[in-house]
Amino acid sequence: MAEFFDIYMLPVFEILGKILLIVLPLLGAMAYLTYAERKVMAAMQLRQGPNMVGPFGLLQPLADGLKLFGKETIIPSASNRAIFVLAPMLTFMLALISWAVIPFDVGMVLADVNVGILYLFAVSSLGVYGILMAGWASNSRYAFLGGLRSAAQMVSYEVSIGLVIVTVILVTGSLNLTEIVMAERTWWMHLLLFPMFIVFVISALAETNRAPFDLPEGESELVGGYNVEYSSMTFALFFLGEYMNMILMSAMTVILFLGGWKVPFGLEWEWLTMVPGLIWFVLKICAVLFIFLWSRATLPRYRYDQLMRLGWKIFLPLSLLWVLVVAGALIMNDALPMPAGVEG
Amino acid sequence: MIVEAIVFYMFSTILLLSGIMVISARNPVHSVLFLILGFFNAAGLFVLLGAEFLAMILVIVYVGAVAVLFLFVVMMLNVDMSRMRDNLKKNMTVAAVVGFVLLGELVWIFSNWHFSEDAELNVQTPFSAEDAMDNTRALGEVMYTDYMLFFQMAGLVLLVAMIGAITLTLRHRPGVKRQKINEQVNRQVKDVLRVEQVESGSGIV
Amino acid sequence: MYSLADFYFHATAALPEIVLTVFGMIILLFGLVREDKSTPQVTLMTVSAFAVTALVIAAMPSEPFKGFMGSFIYDPFAQFMKLLVLMGGAACLAMTLSYNTQEKINRFEFPVLALFSTVGMMFIISANDLMLAYVGLELMSLPLYVLVSIRRDFLRSSEAGIKYFVLGALASGMILYGISLIYGFSGTINFTRLSETLALQDGVSITLSFGLIMLICGVAFKLSAVPFHMWTPDVYEGAPTSVTAFLAIAPKTAVFALLARILFDGFGDMTAQWQDVIWIIAAASMIVGAFAAIPQTSIKRLLAYSTIGHMGYALVGMTAASFDGVRSMIVYMALYMVMNIGVFAIVLMLRQNDRQTTDIDNLSGLGKTHPVVALMMTVLMFSMAGIPPLAGFFGKLFVFQAAVSAELYGLAVLGVLTSVVAAYYYLRIIKIMYFEEPIHVLDKPTRDLEVISGIATIFVVAFILFPQSLVNAAQAAATALVTI
Repeated sequence: MAEFFDIYMLPVFEILGKILLIVLPLLGAMAYLTYAERKVMAAMQLRQGPNMVGPFGLLQPLADGLKLFGKETIIPSASNRAIFVLAPMLTFMLALISWAVIPFDVGMVLADVNVGILYLFAVSSLGVYGILMAGWASNSRYAFLGGLRSAAQMVSYEVSIGLVIVTVILVTGSLNLTEIVMAERTWWMHLLLFPMFIVFVISALAETNRAPFDLPEGESELVGGYNVEYSSMTFALFFLGEYMNMILMSAMTVILFLGGWKVPFGLEWEWLTMVPGLIWFVLKICAVLFIFLWSRATLPRYRYDQLMRLGWKIFLPLSLLWVLVVAGALIMNDALPMPAGVEG
Repeated sequence: MIVEAIVFYMFSTILLLSGIMVISARNPVHSVLFLILGFFNAAGLFVLLGAEFLAMILVIVYVGAVAVLFLFVVMMLNVDMSRMRDNLKKNMTVAAVVGFVLLGELVWIFSNWHFSEDAELNVQTPFSAEDAMDNTRALGEVMYTDYMLFFQMAGLVLLVAMIGAITLTLRHRPGVKRQKINEQVNRQVKDVLRVEQVESGSGIV
Repeated sequence: MYSLADFYFHATAALPEIVLTVFGMIILLFGLVREDKSTPQVTLMTVSAFAVTALVIAAMPSEPFKGFMGSFIYDPFAQFMKLLVLMGGAACLAMTLSYNTQEKINRFEFPVLALFSTVGMMFIISANDLMLAYVGLELMSLPLYVLVSIRRDFLRSSEAGIKYFVLGALASGMILYGISLIYGFSGTINFTRLSETLALQDGVSITLSFGLIMLICGVAFKLSAVPFHMWTPDVYEGAPTSVTAFLAIAPKTAVFALLARILFDGFGDMTAQWQDVIWIIAAASMIVGAFAAIPQTSIKRLLAYSTIGHMGYALVGMTAASFDGVRSMIVYMALYMVMNIGVFAIVLMLRQNDRQTTDIDNLSGLGKTHPVVALMMTVLMFSMAGIPPLAGFFGKLFVFQAAVSAELYGLAVLGVLTSVVAAYYYLRIIKIMYFEEPIHVLDKPTRDLEVISGIATIFVVAFILFPQSLVNAAQAAATALVTI
């Protein structure tokens, strides 16, 4: 019995513990992201933002959550029940499982897989299913239109995200996220990747259906888009999933372009290197998240055809060209990353 | 070992069941969703085999792109499966006969299966286990050297498919208003706006 | 390790394909910038690209050379067949010039798709490996599906496209199934290694025979040989005539080359197994081609059945499984190509009130209204029927000779009998042209089509003066494939 416990149960408990260690802080971060969003937008629009519940309104997210839990779950009678319920669960689950491969610091990762970046890309490309299923199962015009829009939008921008990832992989020579962070990058590599950083951030906005690309929700025309029929917990799961995806995309941006848990700008001052990598990682994520909130507060929504044009006619050719440019530059400078034991 | 076996049987059972559901589900959207479930389990089997790159590519390409478009089309078309089923029933006998003949032949083949003596020599084992290469790199090394020709030809096939799809669907409708971004961006204030001092009561011609 | 220099070395074997592909991309970009009004230029550019590629092939040394891990082979057989395909393709494209404009399908993608299809055919011809054969077949077929349905606002055209596509996909599936069985048994898909493996084999494996039969079935579909011919009349009729011409001429030659390579290079040691299969396919094709064509009223459907019949005759050469057989098959395909170019040029001329007409009855009185066209048609029909001293006669003669020397007397007799039946419907057209009163007067044919069919006619008539030169060329090609 003791043997059984040692071999099978212990690792399971260990993994479960690690998962909880990731998920619980994430849920907290997500809750306070909504708070931060409202505060940042308020500040930009010269308002106060939430300030009633708790000191500085800090308990506002909890109050919102409680309110959602207390409501009745409505399932429209004409809907496809199974899929209707499955859709928000799927969205939320997909938003969570990506975090399995995110390295928070050296070795601080649940699963250090060889193809981490592909896993992230794969999971993020699945996000569209939750929305498409929700839109279809609701059996409502608004929801369906929102679902179709989002499907087209996410598929379009995934293409350029994929090519941007290729440029980064070219430089780092690995699909493993830890190795991507640890890879040496010279100044010209950073310079070369900078345009792709911008493309990636904009595509991330579109991929997460955030303003100015929040057409799937488009409350002024579609009332609320794919989630218009959802209420209570089912709605909360969509909501959680969306914000979780924002944090995830920020984490991806940080890992691909901003050096993950490393000290920014390669500084080596002792008082900076003493700070744990996790702190740097979180700070960098917050910085990227600020871009998300900032753009929501400042930019008007794109029209649908403009959105598609940007994705297919500008980002796709640009990132494709940049793959060539980066590869060419790497060959010119003889800087192609080579695995150990292989001669150039 | 036993865990691996359990996981293998789980993946393959779900794969087979979802395969059956794809063709037997009443609702076409359900069929596509079961298809996706099937892809996932196939990807799981790839991971079990240690081919994680293929598993991820399967998910990215088939689930992330192909099946999305599939679902898209099925949802938009609103296929009436009951009518299609009626059509199927009409041809059921012929289909069943052909199917059983094929099945019989396959059973016959596989019950008489043997390998050629040279088969083992012919099958190449390009990578020794000692290389300890991850399979992304291993695939890349043969794909862009030995199989360069096939890689390029596959690219050509895709190019042709793209040209074909555009040829068959692109219409040049006359009289459609299109946004001309260049003109819009290059528009100057002086082209469209005229500021004049108007005396009261005179108006502008 | 594999270096860049290695790659260049291998790439020299595929130089013609690379040249043609690069031309294709340039032409595509040119068309894209200049849009549909540039279609005549694009067509001419494509024809010149074919010509340049043919020059490259002619200039290449003719020693056999294998590249890309032995999956690509360049030898005199490939050289000859590629020249044939390029010639046929160029002629077909030249014929589309006026027709496509008249029918308003003058899209610049038309010649570009035909070009990429031709690249696929060239790869098929050079395939020494089942994977290359398969990818080549797809590259060849995909543009053809699109071309067939290019007039997508017409029900017939899009129906033909769908039919062709669905059945083509089925054939691809069969080919793949066959390939996987072959691979499962032998562990290789390379023809050279496959024949080595088979040579050591004693006894016949059911798996392997089944795989081979699947493969043959799939390839027979692409050849439109009976019993995989059902799509042919509908597709020939539904597709725009310029596409039908292309479909009937270039791909058939390429697929024949592939079949020859599979059967002789890969499965040369299994002759006993495949000979019977090919025998049946050849016999059935000849019979169906002869009898089913009789009641046809549309010239395009008639030509479809005529193609099926011709495939049967060419397959007779294959059935002989000998050097003579391959040589006669090559000669037959070359002559078939020339005759079809001529006939299709004439079919493209048949227009009434600026619309294509395919009704055979509309040919009535052609001998009075358009004597030159009628004369050319007569010569070509006589040749197709195999009446001496025209070229078609020699094609059939060589094929039957090969069959007799391989002791396939039954097939040879069957071939002669079906030729007689087939002669009936070829001669019927001549009768309608000369001995019936004109119902409608056809439009004046365009000059370029007249020139093309004139050249073909002259070739058919003059072939008796120099049969040896073609036979010699075919001999060199066949030597590469079959050791005497």
